[in-house]
Amino acid sequence: MNPNIVETINVAREVAWLPWAVQYFFLIGLSYGAWLLSLPGIVFRRPGWAGISRLALLGALVCGLAAPVALLADLHQPGRFWHFYAYFTPSSWMSWGAFFIPVYLGGLLMYAWLAFRPDLARHAASGGKLAKLAGLLAYGGHESRGALKAAALLAFVGAALVALYTGAELAVVQARPLWNTPLLPLQFAITAFAGAVGLVLLFNRCSVRDEAANRRLAKVLAVTQVAALVVGALWIALGLSGLFPVHAQALAEVGPSANWQLAAVWAVSATVLTLLLAWKRPGSGLLIGLLALHSAWMMRWSIFIGGQEVPKTGAGYYTYSLPLGPEGLMGIIGTAGLWVFLFVLITTLLPLDRLAAGSTDKAAA
Amino acid sequence: MKAPSSPLVDASRRAFLRGVPALTAAAAVAPTPALANDGKHQWAMLVDVRKCIGCQACTVSCIQENIVPEGSFRTVVSTYSVKLTDSDQPAGTYVLPRLCNHCDNPPCIPVCPVSATYKREDGIVAVDGDRCVGCAYCVQACPYDARFINHETNKADKCTFCAHRVDAGLLPACVETCVGGARIFGDINDPNGELSRRLKEAQPELKVLKPELETAPRVFYIGLDERFTGKVEGEGTLWKPRNLHSSAHG
Repeated sequence: MNPNIVETINVAREVAWLPWAVQYFFLIGLSYGAWLLSLPGIVFRRPGWAGISRLALLGALVCGLAAPVALLADLHQPGRFWHFYAYFTPSSWMSWGAFFIPVYLGGLLMYAWLAFRPDLARHAASGGKLAKLAGLLAYGGHESRGALKAAALLAFVGAALVALYTGAELAVVQARPLWNTPLLPLQFAITAFAGAVGLVLLFNRCSVRDEAANRRLAKVLAVTQVAALVVGALWIALGLSGLFPVHAQALAEVGPSANWQLAAVWAVSATVLTLLLAWKRPGSGLLIGLLALHSAWMMRWSIFIGGQEVPKTGAGYYTYSLPLGPEGLMGIIGTAGLWVFLFVLITTLLPLDRLAAGSTDKAAA
Repeated sequence: MKAPSSPLVDASRRAFLRGVPALTAAAAVAPTPALANDGKHQWAMLVDVRKCIGCQACTVSCIQENIVPEGSFRTVVSTYSVKLTDSDQPAGTYVLPRLCNHCDNPPCIPVCPVSATYKREDGIVAVDGDRCVGCAYCVQACPYDARFINHETNKADKCTFCAHRVDAGLLPACVETCVGGARIFGDINDPNGELSRRLKEAQPELKVLKPELETAPRVFYIGLDERFTGKVEGEGTLWKPRNLHSSAHG
């Protein structure tokens, strides 16, 4: 900061991408990350992964269904969402995103239905809550591997495109050096996957408390934390070395801010702590799960809300205080409420313990 | 007792009153470089920082003309206190009028997911309010912090060079009210116009904001200090407008 210049009058631009956007990017990231975790057990039938993958698919489903609602709410004209389909604009990543989301969600829903059909039939037969609905949804309850693999392929294409567009949407914004980096999509993907591992750790803890699954997930989580630290270090190294001027510019913009210094120390400490716990004490599933989820959310909060606190022309920083209404705290709580509702609804049809047990025989027992 | 009016006086008063509309029309049209849009114009603005007195008349007239909600601004004169080293005075004031740059290569246009933001044939960057979904992607992409979400319309908002006035042959409100004559508006395609002449004269010292981004702004500056062409390195603003939207909902 140059102490010789003091800004006396200027416009403070308010945050235009609201906490709804943070919720969307958090949930859609958890969804595609959890969907990836569903592959080893459900598609590839890797031993020891069945329970993990089924819990992960539950997470992908709940987060994937809640995410677009948050996205819609972030529009200031939500009733005009159909304009995205009526006025496709190929130069805009957001425009592409409007088409990628249905591809992913369509694939995910198809894949989840095919994977859970036998479980729905079992729930219908057991006469539990909403058994009739489960029976209707099961539609015979047959297992069809071919169709499952085809749906997995569609969901894979959708998930890859969603991961790409959510990162690229920000990375192309030259006006914000903090966002304008090719590393951002990678950072989003790594933290999304780590958050998904955290979510499954939580599901495991809340259901069967399978220690083997816990250790396996802790190992995966440790790897994601190493990856996050390596990419973070690369970002800073590129900025300090001057090899990547936009990183240097981003560093210069946020470096002097006490808030950003705190955020950086917080992020690194949380990542190192998660890594150490996952590595040395893999049994601490609940703690590392919560830590990973917290890091994924905080990263998005810092990038979105913190990023918009950096003026593009003016001096210093804009200040953001979380409003209590729908454009702030209520938006965050509302999205969380929707998530809980979907979780309760789906786990009524597909009880958590039964999913976590992995093999259907074990669940039946 | 009222004296009878002379027929001569009456006749001249009538003649004068008859002539008023013509005089008014002439006054409105004669000095105005802007004419009804026939697609050949390329509107631009020159801001002579040396002539700006920081009175914010442009800021106020813009708000009045365009019904800009309280707390939002389409244009403002950023004001800085700058420490002086070569003067007896400890500090001086630097003023910088800011507005949408109506870039020739505008970063706000390609990101708009519904093509609501577009460049008119006359160079004005505009927002189609019937199409805008209020996603605020353009707000993020503008490197000049010139855009915002209007909380009364819930759409992207920005300076339009007062397109409605320009189309009617009038000058933008900020130009019309500029006390120091610091804002010169005109057609860069008109070689004999005042804008072209002034741009030509000022060529060696002509600058734009953030030239490194290659946005090709259509707002040019004379007297623009290098320290203020990009993000200003200095202490943050001391005065901020009250944010009615946040307080109303918060």
